[in-house]
Amino acid sequence: MSEEIVFDCLHAEIVNYCLNNSKDQNDLGTLEYIGFTTGYRLIERLTRDVGRFKDELETMKFICTDFWTLIYKKQVDNLRTNNYGMYVVQDKAFRFLTRISPGSKQLEQAPKFVAFTCGLVRGALSNLGINSTVTAEVQTIPACRFHIEVNRG
Amino acid sequence: MSRQASRLDAKKVNSEFLTLTYGALVTQMLRDFENVDDVNKQLERIGYNMGMRLIEDFLARTSAPRCLEMRETADRIQQAFRIYLNVQPTISNWSAASDEFSLLFDTNPLTEFVELPSDLSNLRYSAILSGCIRGALEMVQLEVQSWFVQDQLKGDNVTELRVKFVRRLEEAIPAGED
Amino acid sequence: MAFCIAVIGKDNAPLYLATSDVERELDLQYHVHAALDVVEEKCVIGKGAPESKELYLGQLFSTENHKIYGFVTNSKIKFIVVIDSSNIALRENEVRAIFRNLHMLYTDAVCNPFYIPGEQLTFKKFDRAVQKLMSGNV
Repeated sequence: MSEEIVFDCLHAEIVNYCLNNSKDQNDLGTLEYIGFTTGYRLIERLTRDVGRFKDELETMKFICTDFWTLIYKKQVDNLRTNNYGMYVVQDKAFRFLTRISPGSKQLEQAPKFVAFTCGLVRGALSNLGINSTVTAEVQTIPACRFHIEVNRG
Repeated sequence: MSRQASRLDAKKVNSEFLTLTYGALVTQMLRDFENVDDVNKQLERIGYNMGMRLIEDFLARTSAPRCLEMRETADRIQQAFRIYLNVQPTISNWSAASDEFSLLFDTNPLTEFVELPSDLSNLRYSAILSGCIRGALEMVQLEVQSWFVQDQLKGDNVTELRVKFVRRLEEAIPAGED
Repeated sequence: MAFCIAVIGKDNAPLYLATSDVERELDLQYHVHAALDVVEEKCVIGKGAPESKELYLGQLFSTENHKIYGFVTNSKIKFIVVIDSSNIALRENEVRAIFRNLHMLYTDAVCNPFYIPGEQLTFKKFDRAVQKLMSGNV
């Protein structure tokens, strides 16, 4: 769809902006934060016509299925939980990695293409009352695995 | 579960996702730079880069022939706004020499939710749009200037983006060829 | 139409409060405060009736002069609306409509990149629209 390419271009520019502006080229904090604040606001709209979530599992299911499909235009390929607050989402063709050619050099670059999404998911969960840590692991482009750890503290 | 969100309009979600992400970028820049003018420049720059990429998609999608005069260019820009932002600006206010025109927007998806704080009156929130036009046209050998004349965010009735033809650029000759 | 419309944050701090009757403002604030306890009770998981998935919580309680209604978003923001008990013409679906509109206004406000979630809602667009909602001119 046409707006998707606009978003993909904007995302690429945001990645460049954040890395060029930080003192440390490996500092993904700003990028993650831009994702966080976007996710926080976006979920307010996306859950407007949805019934009240009854628990953490129901909220997580919403994020990993409905939310994911709306944003990334495809269903996640696998969703698992250990039932102790750890959720693993696997996407075999992650949107922001599909335009990158596979290779070891590109693999090094992969973290910068997933940081925004880590923030996006963390922000959405945060507004729904779930405090979490989200990390991503890229082994072969364009596949990606997101680890969402709920901090139940 | 998915039955719940299926009621959400995917097109609307796309557009809001873009709007919110852009908003997050603008506020981040305001934290990064002390001077609002620097933010305006950065936003314009980002738009310029995006325009350079989007024009390729546009040409492939529309297989549009080369524009011979500014009036055709204006129509293409209008078409591009419809394709990429789902808005239809009106083309108006042509200069006598037909080298300058305005795009009038009733709505601007980028500013749908924005209310500008009073101390940011010199922020050109949508500078990405003027940058986009400049970047895209430069790829088809047209140098233009583009700037905002009116902005609904500042209380104007419409948002008016002005585009002025500067000159035709020489075809870039690929390196290694005489 | 409504006496008082309040938006209460996740931590129960008021983010916005508008009353159409300034003289009774304290009284109304007290009702809002009392309403929060009822909201809390209604939101306890597994306690409510099957229809408790709804964001609209219905009438929370009433006093001689007022009826107090509540609504809670998925992000745990509470909306409280106080109306005049003597206004029997106001039907429940109209109260629902007030909440639905308020919910939309609130989501739009959260999407303003200059609004910092958790802070007071001081934006003009939001205030003007809520005032309209309160007077029934939507």
